[in-house]
Amino acid sequence: MLLLVWTPKAWHRLSPLKPPALLWTPGGEALHVRYRLMSRQGPGEASRQSQPQGPGFRTRLLITALFGAGLGGAWLAARAEKEQRRQQQRTEALRQAAVGQGDFNLLDHRGQARCKADFRGQWVLMYFGFTHCPDICPDELEKLVQVVQKLEAEPGLPPVQPIFITVDPERDTIAAMARYVQDFHPRLLGLTGSAEQVAQVSRSYRVYYSAGPKDEDQDYIVDHSIAIYLLSPDGLFTDYYGRAKSAQQIADSVRRHMAAFRSVLG
Amino acid sequence: MAAPSMKERQACWGARDEYWKCLDENTEDASQCKKLRSSFESSCPQQWIKYFDKRRDYLKFKEKFEAGQFQPSKTTAKS
Repeated sequence: MLLLVWTPKAWHRLSPLKPPALLWTPGGEALHVRYRLMSRQGPGEASRQSQPQGPGFRTRLLITALFGAGLGGAWLAARAEKEQRRQQQRTEALRQAAVGQGDFNLLDHRGQARCKADFRGQWVLMYFGFTHCPDICPDELEKLVQVVQKLEAEPGLPPVQPIFITVDPERDTIAAMARYVQDFHPRLLGLTGSAEQVAQVSRSYRVYYSAGPKDEDQDYIVDHSIAIYLLSPDGLFTDYYGRAKSAQQIADSVRRHMAAFRSVLG
Repeated sequence: MAAPSMKERQACWGARDEYWKCLDENTEDASQCKKLRSSFESSCPQQWIKYFDKRRDYLKFKEKFEAGQFQPSKTTAKS
């Protein structure tokens, strides 16, 4: 807006640069043209050409630029403040989720009661399966253990807690879980519980499971979704890995998450 | 019935792999692999045998499918 006020003045100073053809007309018209030029500039301005007074063009440009910069700076500051407020709200929401959501109340394979808060401060890799599983659960657990071992071998990385949660509480007792986990890794923790407790944790982590029909010796296979879940030290669900991901890919991903992690729990 | 231990699982998988290798060599002719079949059946729980048989069917179907043996019909005149 201010620029528009200034440019006509700049334009008028340039107007004497108009093609000389205008001034070739018979004397009277030349005078008329010159008068018109002069009158547009105004009486005070007529002297401006010979003796420039007040701020020059460059000064005016500098002032405009400074004013523009000031406006821009104010806008950026307001935007940064809004961004910060939004970030604070998000952190607060995450904090509530970390404490509240995805909680579980289960028994580990030594009979001790465990809930999600017990693992605060640790990275957790979690897998849902059952001990009577023909091939998928052993393969996935083997893969999970390989990931843990790869990360263990790297100095400076925090240890990852591997957890195996059963979706077959009917058969997977504490003793059954203890027998099962010992084959994989000394730190692999098996978790089981009542049917309601298993249903609760499966719901929290969106794990589908469905026991199939029993055959003559009462054996059955439990159909279930297959994924390895990564929980951050805040207890927040951070990532998941399907069958197609290799141990190396998962280890790389966990390492990236570790590097980027900022706690919301303080 | 307790779940199979790691050793028992590996014995079962070994027997399955032997049986499947025999089937591969004999173009799915089960009559040629009766001995391995009975070895397979004694190494694995019944549920697992049913599961692995279905798995075999699926893998064979997948092979054929990926080789392009199942094409959509050109016309719908018959339907």
